[in-house]
Amino acid sequence: MMNPRDASPKIPVLGAIENSLLAQRRASKGSKDDINSSYYQYEVYDNVPLTPLNNAPLSLKQNLESPIQPSKLTWVVNLASMSRDNMLCSKCGEGFEPQEKIVNSTGQLWHQQCFVCAQCFREFADGVFYEYDGRKYCEHDFHVLFAPCCQKCGGFIIGRVIKAMNASWHAECFLCEMCKQELADTGFIKNSGRALCHECNAKVKARGLGKYICHKCHAMIDDQPLKFRGEVYHPYHFNCSTCGVELDANAREVRNRPGLAKNDTNELYCLRCHDKMGVPICGACRRPIEERVVTALGKHWHVEHFVCAKCEKPFFGHRHYEKKGLAYCETHYHQLFGNLCHHCNQVIAGDVFTALNKAWCVHHFACSVCDQKMNQKTKFYECDLKPVCKKCYEKFPKELRNRLRRQHEAAPRRAPTPVE
Amino acid sequence: MATAPSVSCLPHNAKMSKAKKVLDEAREIQNPELDLFDKNVSTFEEMTGLLNMTYITRLTLSHNAIKSVPPGLANLSNLEIINLANNQIEELPLSLSSMPKLRILNLSINKLYSLPRGFGAFPVLEVLDLTYNNLKEDALPGNFFLMGTLRALYLGDNDFEYLPPEIKNLKNLEILGLRENDLLELPKEIGELTRLKELHLQGNRLTFLPPDLGQLDMSSNKAAFRLEGNKWIPPIADQLQLGISHLQDYLKSETYRITYNRCLTNKPEAPPPCEGKPKKTCRTR
Repeated sequence: MMNPRDASPKIPVLGAIENSLLAQRRASKGSKDDINSSYYQYEVYDNVPLTPLNNAPLSLKQNLESPIQPSKLTWVVNLASMSRDNMLCSKCGEGFEPQEKIVNSTGQLWHQQCFVCAQCFREFADGVFYEYDGRKYCEHDFHVLFAPCCQKCGGFIIGRVIKAMNASWHAECFLCEMCKQELADTGFIKNSGRALCHECNAKVKARGLGKYICHKCHAMIDDQPLKFRGEVYHPYHFNCSTCGVELDANAREVRNRPGLAKNDTNELYCLRCHDKMGVPICGACRRPIEERVVTALGKHWHVEHFVCAKCEKPFFGHRHYEKKGLAYCETHYHQLFGNLCHHCNQVIAGDVFTALNKAWCVHHFACSVCDQKMNQKTKFYECDLKPVCKKCYEKFPKELRNRLRRQHEAAPRRAPTPVE
Repeated sequence: MATAPSVSCLPHNAKMSKAKKVLDEAREIQNPELDLFDKNVSTFEEMTGLLNMTYITRLTLSHNAIKSVPPGLANLSNLEIINLANNQIEELPLSLSSMPKLRILNLSINKLYSLPRGFGAFPVLEVLDLTYNNLKEDALPGNFFLMGTLRALYLGDNDFEYLPPEIKNLKNLEILGLRENDLLELPKEIGELTRLKELHLQGNRLTFLPPDLGQLDMSSNKAAFRLEGNKWIPPIADQLQLGISHLQDYLKSETYRITYNRCLTNKPEAPPPCEGKPKKTCRTR
């Protein structure tokens, strides 16, 4: 039951993507080209254990863009004013030749040939380098060696690193596993190995408990939910369409246009107001019947709720048998009430002939002595609760007939067994 | 078809032709149900060709004067129903018991004093009617109560004084007719016939009942437990007067258990044999 236009009261909606903190931060960071012109230094974070306790929301361990540590290169050319005697290369510890170029970076000096990537021993392109553990790397090698890889797409993560679920992620790659919403700014909940947003987690949890989540306030519904236009709600979010009373779980959803599949015109009424509206109520589920009504056993029923009292399968218009205010399918009626034919010992498929505490298929009802068929109109005698036609009875020994007659007269009169 | 001789000097011509006509007709249309009741038949030999009609499923020979049944009847292996009610049968062939499809066998109103040894071997027999014969407990063959498929057993108008406790083996028994026998006592094993819904005990010499009978479904509207015409001890007679459900409650009570045990050790005086029964026509040889 999908609800195309949800008219339920306001529900928090995610804002436009431009309003998200992440998007703003990205915008301020600028385009990818800017990355090259600025220097980012990656911190390596302590691997804070992320195993959540009790599914409690975790704050994201985010690696936000750390402020640029501008690895300023100052080319020192002919520092004539300065004495080179006490200047030593930070790498090799040797002094500098008088006319040699000296690299000065963050207060340290290098030979030009010493100021190279610790991995590929080449100069830094455009003077951009990354420093890690006291060593300097060119951009490429730094990424190869140290940049974290995204668990989802496998690419290097430049910029914001999401550390979660014991792995690193691009912010745009770390999504709720159910609704695919980005989790970087909203936080997430680890639920049996899956990262879920708060909403999905609540849904899963509620499902596990056999409970519903209110479609309005997204809280779990502890008591009876109210179904309305295909969604479930806390009943107290609504009021009766007629009398305005706050609703409880007994409220009834009424289709304004019966038979219409869409339910966006449905309204809610309190039980009192609903019952005044004269909609037939199903004898099984006590809910209103808006489509086909079956009337049987003095009650109304949803077609699919008029079922065999034994196997609970709906009759769907097939023949049913009534007994003591209950309805049964053919098989179970016979099984329970013994309408097996005394002659063939089979369930009686068609009409039943009942007499003498027994039942017969109509075409199997016959005199027990001459086996000739009898019908409703045939007069017959009873001997040991067996039917005996008049002709046969008259052929019984006279002595036996006398005794049977005497016994019949002496037997306590009992009310005739009603024929079902 | 051969034309019957216009003149015949055979003494039985009239009654023979009656049965023969039916047989011829039945053969012509291959009718599997053969009605030969009240045809003045006294022997199977009169019914020429009957034993070759192997396709028949029902044979009704009631109200005749048949004295004996040939073993060859069992060759009609498709027979499901044999009705020999109201004849003069004194003896049965054992071969009947091996008929593979026989479900209903009616031998009521005959002159049976005993049943052949091994009679209880019927593979699928459901209804056995032995009403109005001269049977008693020692006339039953040893395997009589091994007919597990039996739904109805009619033994009314016979001479049983005791019902063998092996009756409990007839697990499918729904109907047990023991009307007008000379029963003095019922075995407590009758309480194990859980499907029993019809019990005819009228006109016997019973004085008390096993409490186990109370376990059966005596008082549902599908049940018929007929107990009149016995010399019941006063408490049973009183409860029976009130109704079958009262009797059932009483049979299940602790009070009755004590009464019953007293009856077992100190049996009430047995009533005299039932009157009227010696006049049974089936006794005349």
